[in-house]
Amino acid sequence: MHNQDTQKKGSASIWQIAKAVMFAFMGIRKKSDLENDAATLTPAQVIIGGIIGAVLFVLGVMFVVRLVVS
Amino acid sequence: MAAVHGDVHGHEHDDHHPSGIMRWITTTNHKDIGTMYLWFSFAMFLVGGTLAMGIRAELYQPGIQILEPELFNQFTTLHGLIMVFGAIMPAFVGFANWQVPLMIGAPDMAFARMNNWSFWLLPVAATLLVSSFFVPGGAAAGGWTFYPPLSTQGGLGVDLMIFSVHILGASSIMGSINIITTILNMRAPGMTLMKMPLFVWTWLITAYLLVLVMPVLAGVVTMLLTDRHFGTSFFNAAGGGDPVMFQHIFWFFGHPEVYIMILPSFGIVSEVIPTFSRKPLFGYSSMVYATASIAILSCVVWAHHMFTAGMPTVGQLFFMYATMLIAVPTGVKVFNWTATMWRGSMSFETPMLFAIGFIFLFVIGGFSGVICAIVPIDIQVQDTYYVIAHFHYVLVSGSLFALFAGAYYWIPKWTGRMYNETLGKWHFWLSMFFFNLTFFVQHFLGLAGMPRRIPDYNLQFADFNMISSIGAFGFGSTQLLFLYIMINCIRSGEKAPQKPWDGATTLEWTHLPTPAPYHSFEKPPVVN
Ligand code: HEM
Ligand SMILES: [Cu+2]
Repeated sequence: MHNQDTQKKGSASIWQIAKAVMFAFMGIRKKSDLENDAATLTPAQVIIGGIIGAVLFVLGVMFVVRLVVS
Repeated sequence: MAAVHGDVHGHEHDDHHPSGIMRWITTTNHKDIGTMYLWFSFAMFLVGGTLAMGIRAELYQPGIQILEPELFNQFTTLHGLIMVFGAIMPAFVGFANWQVPLMIGAPDMAFARMNNWSFWLLPVAATLLVSSFFVPGGAAAGGWTFYPPLSTQGGLGVDLMIFSVHILGASSIMGSINIITTILNMRAPGMTLMKMPLFVWTWLITAYLLVLVMPVLAGVVTMLLTDRHFGTSFFNAAGGGDPVMFQHIFWFFGHPEVYIMILPSFGIVSEVIPTFSRKPLFGYSSMVYATASIAILSCVVWAHHMFTAGMPTVGQLFFMYATMLIAVPTGVKVFNWTATMWRGSMSFETPMLFAIGFIFLFVIGGFSGVICAIVPIDIQVQDTYYVIAHFHYVLVSGSLFALFAGAYYWIPKWTGRMYNETLGKWHFWLSMFFFNLTFFVQHFLGLAGMPRRIPDYNLQFADFNMISSIGAFGFGSTQLLFLYIMINCIRSGEKAPQKPWDGATTLEWTHLPTPAPYHSFEKPPVVN
């Protein structure tokens, strides 16, 4: 909270957010990556990223289901 | 943040707080309120347990011996409701009240008066629930999931239940808002989010889940209420409604709810395992991420409870796949706990025994969950004792064992006294033995086709039911031992040192005396 990384907050690229969310869904994350995430991502980015991730997850599963039943 | 701390300082509290019963009624102290939550939930655990003993006594032999079918259904319904909403959930809130401020270095919860209100709503709701046994027509008897049409047909007992669920929901929502605000705004300087103990993390995420789904529950019981009394037909096909819609709304609440009951126990186990392995938690960051993703994914799997309610194949497949994928982050957690113990210098005090018992048995419950998630299998086992076995493995040997682990782990900090280690170990081993005796055989009963929620059964189920009932009586009596151990500890336990567990690293052990003083962290500790 009070560390000097604060000025970098929000500087993450879309890809970085996407990666954090993807790893979250698997439940795996390296310590160094996590610290990097914590320093560069804002909560809003994580939440929006998470919701988009959930939507993509749902669409992905639906896509697989279509494949299976067609 | 400094302002918050300054504010709390402003009040002169020590000199004029009331004593006797008024202390408890008017208290805004997080420790008092935590204590009340814990005693309340234990009392409810005994009430719900008594109902369970009634159920198992009736099922001891085929035929109707003790409970008429109608009363039997009331017993199963209220057993479920009381255990879920009266015992497990308030117990975790009790732990949050005690531990969250201590673990993040805050002086109290953010909204101290609302905290008092959230607690005191609970006895009101519990009274409504329990007294519904004595109204004409008796208590609700449609199962803890109160599906219509049964729940639209029942008598006054159902109304009392609906009202009680409303109140419990309000209490939970207030409790979670309090927890979220406390965690986000009142951490000691230096306690960044990523330094928070895992118990605090799991509660933060759980609290968000609660805020998300409790209103859904409130909504669905309100729709039931208006269907019952105000002429609506939300769930009545004759009026253009749809009873299956109830199930969708209920389980949109219900599945996240089961994670609400398990995530805080993941948190407790993630504190206990590292302490007694004398190693930091393996994969702290993975644990945080896995918890968050379990919370999100738990909102898209609800219809696995409804595979037999009529659903297109694509729906069945979707919910089957999604449910099985959610087992992945859960598996990551089990892996992390195991890796934490790997090559640790472990010792096996009672909290650790319960935590290891948790991992072992929760895995069995997780696997039987995945089995239930496979549509063709679930079509066979749905509404049988197999499902009963599944969720008791995750709720009793999951949530409840974690609560026991947490109680033994923190009781020295709360009371300044040690519990009796020998008796604690007895409590663990007896619980372990009787729990498995009760519930393992229920897998066999379910696979053989014994339906749930029935007071009588065919002769071929007799042996396993007798075994299960004997186990249940044993398990029930063993919990009285827990009560004895706790009272004994509070009254006359040996004095506890500041840090009885040498592997403990969280603030409540490192920065506070034992017992924790009535007002702690009035000056925030500095965390580095
Ligand atoms: C590995 C994760 C899990 C999976 C895959 C899973 C899957 C399932 C499925 C498919 C059912 C429906 C069975 C049926 O009605 O035919 C079910 C029921 C249930 N599960 Fe789980 N589950 C998991 C974890 C949990 C946890 C952690 C809890 C609670 C702490 C829980 C509590 C319940 C309850 C209470 C029911 C029964 C609800 C009722 O019908 O009364 N489950 N589970
Ligand atoms: Cu579920």
